[in-house]
Amino acid sequence: MTEIRLLSEGIFEITKDKKQLSTLNLDPGKVVYGEKLISVEGAEYRTWDPRRSKLGAMVLKKFDIPLKRDSKVLYLGAASGTTVSHVSDIVSEGAVYAVEFAPRSMRDFIGLASRRKNIFPILTDAGKPDSYAHIVEPVDIIFQDVAQPNQAEIATRNAARFLKRDGHLLLSIKARSIDTAASPKEIFKEEVKKLEQAFEPEFEILTARDLMPYHEDHLGVLAKLKE
Amino acid sequence: LPSVRFLLGTAGKICRLNGFDLKTAAIEGGFANSPSEYYSLLHEITLETVKLQVSKALTPDQRVIQAVEALDDINETTNSLSERLFEWYGGYFPESGLSGETLAVFITKYGSRENIPPEDPLSLKARDSMGAKLEVADEALLKGFAESVCSLYERRKQIEAYIESSMENLAPNLTMLAGPMLGARLISIAGSLEKLAAFPSSTIQVIGASKALFKHLRARAPSPKHGIIYSHPLINTSPWWMRGKVARALAAKLSLAARIDFYSAKKNPSLEGELEEKIRKIREANPRPPQKRQEGRAKPKKKRRK
Repeated sequence: MTEIRLLSEGIFEITKDKKQLSTLNLDPGKVVYGEKLISVEGAEYRTWDPRRSKLGAMVLKKFDIPLKRDSKVLYLGAASGTTVSHVSDIVSEGAVYAVEFAPRSMRDFIGLASRRKNIFPILTDAGKPDSYAHIVEPVDIIFQDVAQPNQAEIATRNAARFLKRDGHLLLSIKARSIDTAASPKEIFKEEVKKLEQAFEPEFEILTARDLMPYHEDHLGVLAKLKE
Repeated sequence: LPSVRFLLGTAGKICRLNGFDLKTAAIEGGFANSPSEYYSLLHEITLETVKLQVSKALTPDQRVIQAVEALDDINETTNSLSERLFEWYGGYFPESGLSGETLAVFITKYGSRENIPPEDPLSLKARDSMGAKLEVADEALLKGFAESVCSLYERRKQIEAYIESSMENLAPNLTMLAGPMLGARLISIAGSLEKLAAFPSSTIQVIGASKALFKHLRARAPSPKHGIIYSHPLINTSPWWMRGKVARALAAKLSLAARIDFYSAKKNPSLEGELEEKIRKIREANPRPPQKRQEGRAKPKKKRRK
């Protein structure tokens, strides 16, 4: 017996043998990274591995995911597009502006982007939002997974240019990419503080939780612009 | 394609600086009839743009990096296949005393030791060998295997020659100071010539010693003196008490060389002389190994470490 439970808009928990996080496949019949396809009553779902996706882990860690069917998303750190593909599933009538700096990752990403009309790939440095300001429109959500030492600054710079007043920032902070030696807890505390007050605009943190057991030494953050 | 040029070119830049709203302008100006047409155009244009950028990303230094990594793979494979051949053929002619490439060439040429002509220096040993008789089927197998090993050795030479000639064009100064192979390895680990040129010389000094470096940063392990630049003859022929100093001097010049290569690509012959002069000074200033610390002074330090 297959059971489907809605976790958030466009995000489902399918129970068939075991519980599995999944999204409705926008590109039916196609597999992106070796995930499973499950058909239920004529609809095709793609399973979503929380161990390979920070966003997937955030869903299971009960973050309030603000993605809607028609959301406009700025996705920083697209890599080969594992998570982007699920975001593209969720915002089926929206747009995903996917920024990635490494040509090697982009090479893998292009095939995926060409099959999904709501993905707009951009090959550039996420730390320089000026370089893509003419392409990206104001967005509802910025998702960032860049593993850079100055990621708080990158987030605020992009938010200043693109985030709508009532928009949200979803951020994954990797402790090891900020300081290899310091303790993750200390780093997280500092990074959250940076988001709250170090730069313009300032953020109000709604949720901050580690992503264990799916990702070690990672902190998930959901924030909005301070009033 | 004009649109791709637009996105990458000056017109795009002007839009950026003025915070220009491309979507509204495209629809109001009639370039796109509806938001959905705009998105569809944008999808196509961004896709073409990244394709163009990706195809340009395979720069000469990236090609050298692929070659270096292929060389490492081939080395690993030839070593293990050579060992297998040595073990295998050893059962039939253990006295040959050959190994590696010479053994592979030998087997490809003769196969069974019975085929060794009398004028070959190994013919006597072959006659008195205690090895087993090589049956026809086994001989065919071994010969084929040896041919594969030979061709891998050939491939290795080809790749090495490729790296040598590419490095001469790509990074003449780095090649002059470090040699083509070490220079190519440094670029490979850094990720690109640009990144190598941006590294401080202290990083170049310990490239390839990351395990020791992080152990040093996390715990109280001693800092590494050299990474892969250890393979440079200036360092590995120096006595131990000078190696750290020589490594520092060499890394400083390598970093300069990488920067000249990346930004001007002109050969600067004076670098070599400057490095030699520096090394000469180090040798003069440190003729003898430093005195070991006395027991009484070393002990309290150990306690502090705990």
